[in-house]
Amino acid sequence: MSLERKDEHDHGAWLAEKDLSLIEKSYLMMLIWFDRRLRLVDYLELLEDMYYKINLQMPKSHTEQYNLDNKFWYWYPLYALGSFSLLAYIVAALSGALLGFYYSPSTAGETPVAYQTVEAIMADLNFGFMLRSIHRWAAQVMVAAVFLHMLRVYFTGAYKEPREVNWLLGVVLLALTVLFGYTGYLLPWNQLAFWAGQIGVEMAISVPIVGEWTANLLFGGLSLGQPTLQRMYILHVFVLPFVVTALIALHIGIVWMQGIAEPH
Amino acid sequence: MTDTDTDANNDVRTDGSGTGIVAPDDEVPSWSERKERTTGLSRLTYEYFERARREDQDLRQESSYVERDVLGFPAWPHETIRNIALASFFVGMLLFLAALLPPTIEDPANPSETPSVILPDWYLYWSFGLLHLESLNPELALAGGEKIMSDQLYGVLANGVVFGAIAILPFLNKGSARRPVEEPFWASIGVGGVIFAFTLSLLPIEAMFPWDVHITFDMAFFLPVIGAIITYAVLKTMREGYMYNLNKRYYRLRPPR
Repeated sequence: MSLERKDEHDHGAWLAEKDLSLIEKSYLMMLIWFDRRLRLVDYLELLEDMYYKINLQMPKSHTEQYNLDNKFWYWYPLYALGSFSLLAYIVAALSGALLGFYYSPSTAGETPVAYQTVEAIMADLNFGFMLRSIHRWAAQVMVAAVFLHMLRVYFTGAYKEPREVNWLLGVVLLALTVLFGYTGYLLPWNQLAFWAGQIGVEMAISVPIVGEWTANLLFGGLSLGQPTLQRMYILHVFVLPFVVTALIALHIGIVWMQGIAEPH
Repeated sequence: MTDTDTDANNDVRTDGSGTGIVAPDDEVPSWSERKERTTGLSRLTYEYFERARREDQDLRQESSYVERDVLGFPAWPHETIRNIALASFFVGMLLFLAALLPPTIEDPANPSETPSVILPDWYLYWSFGLLHLESLNPELALAGGEKIMSDQLYGVLANGVVFGAIAILPFLNKGSARRPVEEPFWASIGVGGVIFAFTLSLLPIEAMFPWDVHITFDMAFFLPVIGAIITYAVLKTMREGYMYNLNKRYYRLRPPR
């Protein structure tokens, strides 16, 4: 008997005392070789951990344990209505990204190029009519869902005391959603777009002192034209998506932090 | 060890401000001690958070509120499966709607041809309606009947007033009431606001109705008030029953005389 301590990590000696078949032995050698280099053990531990977290041993069925059939709160996210505007926003973003490949913001020509590209999307592009339809309906539904969400928050008093900041953020998001829609329906440069743009320019100009400056900044001049369409396009596809996405993330983050306001 | 050495050691600062790394000993202040030593705003912040934490703890201990053993639903599998189901259903409905009611594209923009009816998209009708309130723009007797601001500016300011009123709402309505029956006044304000949004939407097209335009204009202001009054009355009535249900047990416990 030796006084030397046994080396716990001597895999060679451990292998020698085992009576292993050739297959088992070569498998183990390979496993040890890879583990020395890639530390597979760590990943296995992570996987194991995840496995036990997911497959928790439930004493009863899930429904029984959490009493889901008589718990209203489980369906609360459906009632809060905010998730619908988020979903519509995601659908609008995806379909809008696809539309962006085919659209060109130009008023040049007898029939404006922007109008022609929208017509081409609807008439020539495979699935294009459906794509525009999806984008348009997602936008309409998003605005509707935002209004409904706001009504729900108002009538259930969810804006009250610790949630003022999120209500203010929501008002800003409402304004930005409407602005998103406005810049969006100006893009096809049809009669609706032109005359709605005219209303916008006149509203901007009517403000004293800063009015003309605002009209120049937002609409690229005091009358509608190529600069207007250009700016609406940049607002719609570059500025607003980033700003609105960031604010929605903040909005939902605050809801996550503070919890959904439950009526009681 | 000489005296000079101990003197030198006493001069050594142990709060991390010195040049060298000093091994921690008993005289090294803890983090809370350091915070207590700070002055000014940081001191104030520290004290406030300590007090707030203490207050929370006391409230929690005094409260008769029994915390639920299950505070929420597990993200997996409950909420995940529910969310996937809701999202799929909703996106499916959206695609169905898009396929069923495809959009149209009107005539291309033509500055020389004004359409008979100029309207924005539907969700801006209320805002456009606010631009049509020029007859409410006051005329000043001092300025010989002239208006102090243009009608357009008046409409733009009305939009700002509406957004401002919505924004300051949580600073006006305090308290913990969460149901319309508990606050009939605020609920009726809300219903009045919703009706006002609809009636305002009629103002831009008031010339299209077969009756006098003034009737539409007057209705835009009367209907919301009527709706608000009805809501108030209904909720007040409901409130009686609601309070009765809440207090039923209490009333039954009293012995009849």
